[in-house]
Amino acid sequence: MQIQVRSFARIREAIGGDLIVEVPDGAPLARLLAVVGDVSEEAQNALFEENGELKGYVILMRNGKRVRQGDIDALALADGDEIALFPPVAGG
Amino acid sequence: MIGIVREEIDVAAVLEAAKRPEIGALVTFLGTVRDDGIERMDLEAYEEVAVQEFAAIREEAIEKWPITSVDILHRVGSLAVGENILLIVVGAGHRKEAFDACEYVLERIKESVPIWKKEVREDGETWVPGEYPEGPA
Repeated sequence: MQIQVRSFARIREAIGGDLIVEVPDGAPLARLLAVVGDVSEEAQNALFEENGELKGYVILMRNGKRVRQGDIDALALADGDEIALFPPVAGG
Repeated sequence: MIGIVREEIDVAAVLEAAKRPEIGALVTFLGTVRDDGIERMDLEAYEEVAVQEFAAIREEAIEKWPITSVDILHRVGSLAVGENILLIVVGAGHRKEAFDACEYVLERIKESVPIWKKEVREDGETWVPGEYPEGPA
């Protein structure tokens, strides 16, 4: 199934832009994040600590709703989902 | 009026459009690009979500205070020093609730709306760090 990955600010710069990622049906969000990290060394360093944990500042959304980092292993994606990755917001 | 915009914000036009017979106070917040030794400021937004958040924040403010209207316009793109970034206009019968609601709307925008700023200098670029590293739950 295909998942659209959007990213913003310094995480977008590290990943290189929006992506369409192919993952197996029912794959958890964690699986998708691993694929995104494999795009480049910059993407890996932006998203993950050296021990493989997701970096604490990475904010996740699925179809416009926040997803807690603790839920990435349990959350099963669906075809056509939009996942967004971004650092803490700084508007205003 | 609520939105993410790419053109210069016409403050006078938004204020004029906000006027209603029952409004006695229009409180305005205008954020502008400050000269911190920068050449320009680049702003980007997760637009669909940002606009939803603006609408949710407006509803929160209208529930908390007896106000008549909330307008929120946020600019994105590449901005020069002095250009308008964010306009909030709160209309109410009286000043106190308009001031309080305007400050609330601003703080909620800074806390939760997905917008980012990059300062561009002669010698490089820096993303402005978020003020709320944990973000809302």
